[in-house]
Amino acid sequence: MHPGGLVAAGTPRQPSKRRTPVSQPGMADPHQLFDDTSSTQSRGYGAQRGPSSLGYPAASASPQAAFLADPVSNMAMAYGSSLAAQGKELVDKNIDRFIPVTKLKYYFAVDTMYVGKKLGLLFFPYLHQDWEVQYQQDTPVAPRFDVNAPDLYIPAMAFITYILVAGLALGTQDRFSPDLLGLQASSALAWLTLEVLAILLSLYLVTVNTDLTTIDLVAFLGYKYVGMIGGVLMGLLFGKIGYYLVLGWCCVSIFVFMIRTLRLKILADAAAEGIPVRGARNQLRMYLTMAVAAAQPLLMYWLTFHLVR
Amino acid sequence: MAFTLYSLLQAALLCVNAIAVLHEERFLKNIGWGTDQGIGGFGEEPGIKSQLMNLIRSVRTVMRGIGCLLAVPQLEGWKIPGPWGPCN
Repeated sequence: MHPGGLVAAGTPRQPSKRRTPVSQPGMADPHQLFDDTSSTQSRGYGAQRGPSSLGYPAASASPQAAFLADPVSNMAMAYGSSLAAQGKELVDKNIDRFIPVTKLKYYFAVDTMYVGKKLGLLFFPYLHQDWEVQYQQDTPVAPRFDVNAPDLYIPAMAFITYILVAGLALGTQDRFSPDLLGLQASSALAWLTLEVLAILLSLYLVTVNTDLTTIDLVAFLGYKYVGMIGGVLMGLLFGKIGYYLVLGWCCVSIFVFMIRTLRLKILADAAAEGIPVRGARNQLRMYLTMAVAAAQPLLMYWLTFHLVR
Repeated sequence: MAFTLYSLLQAALLCVNAIAVLHEERFLKNIGWGTDQGIGGFGEEPGIKSQLMNLIRSVRTVMRGIGCLLAVPQLEGWKIPGPWGPCN
C-alpha cells in the first residue's frame, strides 16, 4: 500500500469500536444498545480532532499541516483514505455472514447494575416475580434495561473465571501444570457444546415453536459457571463441607432459575399465565424443561468435584 | 477428565457415520422407519417419530456429500492446530 495512505492520522476513522457502555441516569433510547460516546464522526484530516477520537497528541497537527500543503500528497492521502474506507466497508459487510456481530452486540449491552441484579438473581431467584422479557416493538429490549434478558457477558466472564479458579484449586493441591488449564477449558467447552447440541436436538424433535435462539441457549447454559465458581472458592476456603453447602445452594438456585426462565420460552402459550399444563404435547415440553434444568446441577457437580479435595 | 473438544468431534463424527450407514432396505423398512413410510398428513403435529425419520434421512443425504470430506482429517490422522486436547 502507498506509504502516504498509511498516515494514520489522516484517515477519517470512526471511533465506533471504542464505545464503552455507560449507564446514564435516564434511559435515552431503548433501541440504542450502547451509548454514543463519539463526539466527532468523520471530520476531515488535519486541523480539528475530537477528544474521544484517536488520542493523537495535538503536537502532530502542525507537521501534518505542512505536509498537506502539497497537492500531490493531498491526492495520495485522499486516495489512500478512500481505499481504506472501501476496505472497511467490505469487511463490515462480509463479517456479518460468518459471525453475527450485530446480534452478538445485543448480548453484551450490559451495565453494572444489570450484572449485579443478575448475579443476585442467579444466587437467589426465589423472590423474583416477573420473569417476562420486555419487548420493544417486536425486538427484545437490551439487557441493560431488563434484568430478565439473557446476556453473554456474565457467562463469558464466569467461564474465564472458572478456568482461573480451577487453576488456583489445582495449584493449592500441587497438581498444577499449564496444559491442565487448557484441558479444563476444553473440557468445559466440550460439555457446553454437547449440552447445546442435545437441547437443540430435543427442541427439534418435540417441534417447539419458540424464539429461543442458539445464542440465547448458550447464554442460559453459561449461567451455571457462576455457581461453580462460588462452590469451588468456598471449597478452597472451608474444605469439603463449604464446597458441598455452597454447591448445593447454587444447584437448587440454578434449577429454579432455569425452570422459571425456560418455562416462558418453551411453554410459551400455556404455562406462562400459570395454567397447569395439560395434554401430551405440553407435558412433553414440561419434561424437556425439567430435563434441561436438572442437567445443570449434574454438570456443575461433574465439572468441579475433582477440584476440591 | 479427558473429555475434550477433540473427543467431542470424534464422537460426533462416529455418530453421524453410524446414522449414514443404516441400511435402508434391510433395517429401516423392517422397523417402519423407511423414508417412504413416514410422510403422513398435513396435521400440525409431526410427532417425534416422523421428525426422527426426517432427521435420519437428511443426515444421510448430507453425509454422503459433505460429510465424507469432513471425515478425511480424522481418517488421515491429520493434526489440526488448536485447543482440542492431548489426543491431537
